[in-house]
Amino acid sequence: MDRRHFLRVTAAAGAGLLVSSTASCATSASSGPVAQTAGTVSIQSNLSAPAAKAAIEALVKAFNDRKGSQASVNTVASETFRTQLPSYLTSANPPDLFTWYPGSLLKGYEEKGLLLDVSDVWQTMGDYPQAYRTLSGKVFVPTTTYWWSFFYRKSNFAKWGVTPPKTWAEFVELCKSLQGKGVIPLGMGAGSDSPWTASAWFDYFNIRVNGAPFHRELLAGKHRFDDPKVKAIFTPWREVLPYTDPNGTAIGFQEATTAMLQGRTGILLTGAFFADAAPKDALDDIDFFRFPIIDPAVPLAEEGPTDGFFASSKSPHVKELKEFLTYAATAEGQEVYIRNSSGTILPTHPKARDSGTELVKKGRRHLEEAAEITQFFNRDSSDALQPTADAALVKFLQQPDQLDTILATWQKAAEQVWSA
Amino acid sequence: MRRVPPILLLFVLIPLLVEGFWVFWPALQGFWLALTNWDGVSAPRFAGAGNFSRMIDDPVFHTAVTNTAIWLVLFGGLSAVGGLGLAVLLQKERRGVGVYRAALFVPVVFSLVATSLIWQMLYQPGGLFDSSPLADPDTALYAVLVPALWRQAGYVMVLYLAGLKGIDPGLYEAATLDGATAWQRFQHVTWPQLRSVNSVVLSVIVIDSLRSFDVVWSMTRGGPYHSSELLSTYMYATAFQSLKLGYASALAVVIFVLAFGVIVTYLVRAFREN
Repeated sequence: MDRRHFLRVTAAAGAGLLVSSTASCATSASSGPVAQTAGTVSIQSNLSAPAAKAAIEALVKAFNDRKGSQASVNTVASETFRTQLPSYLTSANPPDLFTWYPGSLLKGYEEKGLLLDVSDVWQTMGDYPQAYRTLSGKVFVPTTTYWWSFFYRKSNFAKWGVTPPKTWAEFVELCKSLQGKGVIPLGMGAGSDSPWTASAWFDYFNIRVNGAPFHRELLAGKHRFDDPKVKAIFTPWREVLPYTDPNGTAIGFQEATTAMLQGRTGILLTGAFFADAAPKDALDDIDFFRFPIIDPAVPLAEEGPTDGFFASSKSPHVKELKEFLTYAATAEGQEVYIRNSSGTILPTHPKARDSGTELVKKGRRHLEEAAEITQFFNRDSSDALQPTADAALVKFLQQPDQLDTILATWQKAAEQVWSA
Repeated sequence: MRRVPPILLLFVLIPLLVEGFWVFWPALQGFWLALTNWDGVSAPRFAGAGNFSRMIDDPVFHTAVTNTAIWLVLFGGLSAVGGLGLAVLLQKERRGVGVYRAALFVPVVFSLVATSLIWQMLYQPGGLFDSSPLADPDTALYAVLVPALWRQAGYVMVLYLAGLKGIDPGLYEAATLDGATAWQRFQHVTWPQLRSVNSVVLSVIVIDSLRSFDVVWSMTRGGPYHSSELLSTYMYATAFQSLKLGYASALAVVIFVLAFGVIVTYLVRAFREN
């Protein structure tokens, strides 16, 4: 879950037909992959936000201008992309490349032989840290990444006379102090179409209290959601609930962002992508601090979701698409992309230049200082598990005293997903 | 018997083939998929009635069925009553009546997704209410129902207006001569004359309420925590979020059986009365 989810869903397609909807959406090959022209690499992209769309188009143009193989990009709405991905991959004539992120969904497709092995491309990516290699396996090429943290406006902090906290105790102090000044300390946008943003809080409490390895195991089904260790992370969460926006489960991500930018809320836990929608003059005023350390003994982990490309194993343009992937993995390719994006995104190539703003430089250090990187709830688990977290966490935000029931229900729902 | 001209046959057979291939065949496949476990990618695995027995223990399914029943009664009932009321009020041709009819019909023209966005704004905390009714599990379903009704009532009104136009004015004259009150005229002339329209309206509202999806999905996605889940949204989420297409097809079969059951029962009764 990330900026790809922000477009309002126009998923009416699934609504119209009663029985035939499930069948026809999934089985018919009518789901329109782009037309194949000889030798041109077709890229199916879900980057439909204007800034991201401009960036990938610039990348493709730069690739084509090299006078080597040619590529073309077809952008579709992110929700359509997500629901149609199985149809794309199993159709007789799929697009060659897809924008996506590494995770369990790709692993599943890889096991079914639907994805192309792009190890050759990795041969050209010697500079990349091992972590990206482990994350991507043989089928994925990462090109961009970003970070999650508490964002705030410097001018507001100056006005309120507060400074960023380092420890949990300082964080709670900050909340108290902001509340005393009549500001809602903690923004939240877990209502409307973005209940998944509550998972950022869950992820962070879990990696701060139990550590990243436990977090990954939990999301892989090796621990239970009603485990006492999981229950324990809700204790610090409860402590700051009184400082959280009481409308946090009623408003969506965009409204929560606006509330923070307008100074109605003090700080917002969000991904750097929120700046895509922020007014330009606010960008210089934005700063962030990391989610406070709760247990200093736990190695520092941060959420740093990674995006990139994978290829269909049915593609007739193996040589051409690998040429494109190789280019997209170079520092040059990533710099073209970043120059044409909103500029808060980070390259995966360690030597590629970022947009050079103070914010982005700090963001890069923020991720480099972390001993462990997690991706995000749905990426570390699966898109199928995400709705179980949404239901549980939104309920917790509304009825924190129901925690035991919530965790038991969550575990049951998760078992249904894992057993499928 | 006269021979059917070949061109007419073509006009019948080609749409039938298209319909058969694009509608009936996928629908039949849906029934088959309901008996399998399928992730959309690998071959479906036959599971017998497993998907249906699973519904018995599925709390979200129970919520979805209850909500769908509430929806059917409120959405269907209120839009039929409201649509009929509006049609009776606005049936007489008088000055400016067209403006009212058009105004009530306008919501039908909007896309439901656009309608939901407008209502989402109205429901924003600090808007119509201090806190959003969409975020409260006790009110979310009803908060979504209002925009759906706002639209459907106009649609049903048009159906009834057409029906009312078809009633012979002579019947009303005769009734008035016999000294019938306005209520008696409605009860003994209008209502019986509307029988054929009623069956159309019933089918339309049953089908529309069982397939209500876009308005719920775009406003709450069935949340918070499944409190506004309908069978249709649960089916969609199961199919395309959880990628359990077998179970989702089984849910679709349930929706189909419900819709078909209600309509057939009504039609059989209507025919018997005739």
